[in-house]
Amino acid sequence: MKKIMKTAALSAAFAAGIALAAPASAQEDSIYIPNLSYRTGPFAATGTPLMNGQRDYITLLNERDGGLNGTKLVYDECETGYNTEKGVECYERTKENAVVTQPWSTGITLQVLPKSNVDEIPILAPGYGFSPMANGKVFQWAFNPPSSYWDGASMILKHISEGNLDNLNGKKIALLHLDHPYGKEPIPLLEVLAEKHGFTLLPIPVGLTEMQNQSAQWLQIRRERPDFVLMWGWGAMNAGAVTEAAKTRYPMDQFIGIWWSGHDGDLKLIGEEGKGYRSISWSVPMPDSQLLQDVREYVVEPGKSLIENESELDSVFYQRGLMISAILVEAIRAAQEEFDAQAPDATQVRWGLENLNMDEARLEELGAAGMLVPFKTSCADHTGHGGAWMLEWDGEKFVKVSDLITPDREAIEPLEEQEAQAYAEANAPWPINEECNM
Amino acid sequence: MLYRTAGQFKTSYAADHALFPVRQDAILLGVVLVFAFVVFPLTASEFAFRALLIPVLIYALAALGLNILTGYAGQLSLGTGAFMGVGAYACYKLITLFPEMNIVVAIALSGFFSASVGALFGLPSLRIKGFYLAIATLAAQFFLVWLFQKWAWLYNYSASGAIHVPNISMFGITVAGPRAAAITQYYFVLGIVCVVTFFAINITRGRVGRMWKAVRDMDIAAELVGINLMRAKLTAFFVSSYIVGISGALFVFLWRGAAEANLFDIPLSFRVLFIAIIGGLGSILGNYLGAILIVALPVIISGVPAMLGIRVASATVEHLNVMIIGALIITFLIVEPHGLARFWAVIREKLILWPFPH
Repeated sequence: MKKIMKTAALSAAFAAGIALAAPASAQEDSIYIPNLSYRTGPFAATGTPLMNGQRDYITLLNERDGGLNGTKLVYDECETGYNTEKGVECYERTKENAVVTQPWSTGITLQVLPKSNVDEIPILAPGYGFSPMANGKVFQWAFNPPSSYWDGASMILKHISEGNLDNLNGKKIALLHLDHPYGKEPIPLLEVLAEKHGFTLLPIPVGLTEMQNQSAQWLQIRRERPDFVLMWGWGAMNAGAVTEAAKTRYPMDQFIGIWWSGHDGDLKLIGEEGKGYRSISWSVPMPDSQLLQDVREYVVEPGKSLIENESELDSVFYQRGLMISAILVEAIRAAQEEFDAQAPDATQVRWGLENLNMDEARLEELGAAGMLVPFKTSCADHTGHGGAWMLEWDGEKFVKVSDLITPDREAIEPLEEQEAQAYAEANAPWPINEECNM
Repeated sequence: MLYRTAGQFKTSYAADHALFPVRQDAILLGVVLVFAFVVFPLTASEFAFRALLIPVLIYALAALGLNILTGYAGQLSLGTGAFMGVGAYACYKLITLFPEMNIVVAIALSGFFSASVGALFGLPSLRIKGFYLAIATLAAQFFLVWLFQKWAWLYNYSASGAIHVPNISMFGITVAGPRAAAITQYYFVLGIVCVVTFFAINITRGRVGRMWKAVRDMDIAAELVGINLMRAKLTAFFVSSYIVGISGALFVFLWRGAAEANLFDIPLSFRVLFIAIIGGLGSILGNYLGAILIVALPVIISGVPAMLGIRVASATVEHLNVMIIGALIITFLIVEPHGLARFWAVIREKLILWPFPH
């Protein structure tokens, strides 16, 4: 009995010690970059290559250049499994020394967004999150470059209507989406556009529990015969949707996904049958670029990468992961130069994110020409609205099939403004950046 | 030694039926309360508040609500998550419709909404029992989550379908919303949890609680001795859903800050049910022990490698975490199938007899 008591007391003391001790902190003279990753759970298939890409870019800088202008970058992952509850826990765990939050899920973004003004840590959500975050005056601490979901929706419609949305008059467009904040994101804009241009919008939600078995949804698609199916899918839902589409022989050239629905692994499941499936994307894989050669030389060959096989290097998602870290590192670099600080703090990195200029020349210098849409942010515009390209599955891989498509900002801006104001009102007192007059 | 009861004589029936017939129990509770009210707030970091202390209290409260229904009245329910959702959405609507309303009042009122919904879905319990009733409450689970998604009025027509907690202050102190300090929120939750627990202990010890236990143990016998089954079962549903509703409101307002309908889906119901089962059905203490095991332990375990300075990929930690917690749950249930509360009761009995075991 005594022994049990002793063990119990010891373990209680131990547990209390961990619980009350401050979370692991980064060393001096280094920049701590946490990432709320997900390599487990139903979204692991799409999450893992992205996280690998992000991790490898930071490793590359540390290995090749000895960090960023001499300062080591400390990349740290906290596993969320795409679960918002875990996400908030991870946010609390990592925020102390963090210069940025990478929430990696629209649900987690919505949770940490209100806290960003209080904790003063910028949120970087490239290509995801809440579309009105583009309004930098209202969302001072949130960034979603280079394109938002509303931009994505607008660009897909522009592409399928061959540039003039009125061509869609009388057509029926289904939106197959994950029944989650992420999947619902494009609906407000699509509703406005449907009314304006006279097409019918048919949202078809896919619940988190039915991602792998979408027979009901595809039965509905077969019955309704929409002219186009747009997909806002993620994780296991993408694979489920493309296999179901192949099974029901839905014409692949009428099936278009957002950038998170263009994962090589999902399309490989159906291979040839998926030919013609398109996905809009603000990044393009370039296996022959200088950047990829460096990644191979400094990260993959010494065995410092977590990738499982070399072919992952060529995938859209891995290379998008590289680009996401590149965006972040460029912001930190800008902050270093502006404030003459070796290890800029969160506020300075926020300035960096607000003054990003990823033009073609800069991408060329990074060895990544053509891998990312060029964009530029400002204090009023936290997205940059760089546009995107259309990628098409040729049976083996995704290839670029369009020139740069740009979103129809005139149609989106009023809605962005309105939603941003509504958000600020609902969360009053919400500080607005008055200094920014752009 | 620690639990020697020698010399503690009871001279009246009232003393014999006191909340703590053994003095050491009262002292132990006092120590726990001192820890909860003084020691933790003085020492805990913001992370400890937000990832350990507050969620444990809120989950324990939800499990307490479920325990009244399942552990005390014997009615199996799989709809806890949805009833928490009713509490949360009701509180959200009250706060946004009447911004001047005190948040304590809003939370207390929101409990009544979930209590009514709970009693409504408890009606089938008059005809069906056991697993069949579980299926009926499962229907409530699916229906309510569907309603949270489709009824846009509930989330004030926001584009994302999520509800956000505005900044709410009480007597000049911000208690909820992004600007609230973790320690304030902790005290707020702790206060409500203590009050509800106090009432729950006394209800389950009193006439109503005995009525529930009689129904749980054998409802035909209970009916024969004159217990009104309908009243007993419906009050159990009402009280249980009230507590669950309050915990749902706290869940969103004092902890999460934002929520979408999916949050209240069946995994949440199962989580609360597991806390109640592993903690011990038919006990109040068990809910806290269960919540510590299911909610806090994974957070603590995932912090261990970093604390010891071992670099392990966080995905690996997560896999290990699932395995360790799973193994612990199985071990505890094999060692003591009646849950952690019973485990503690056995330890306590042995301590009382120590050093002279039979």
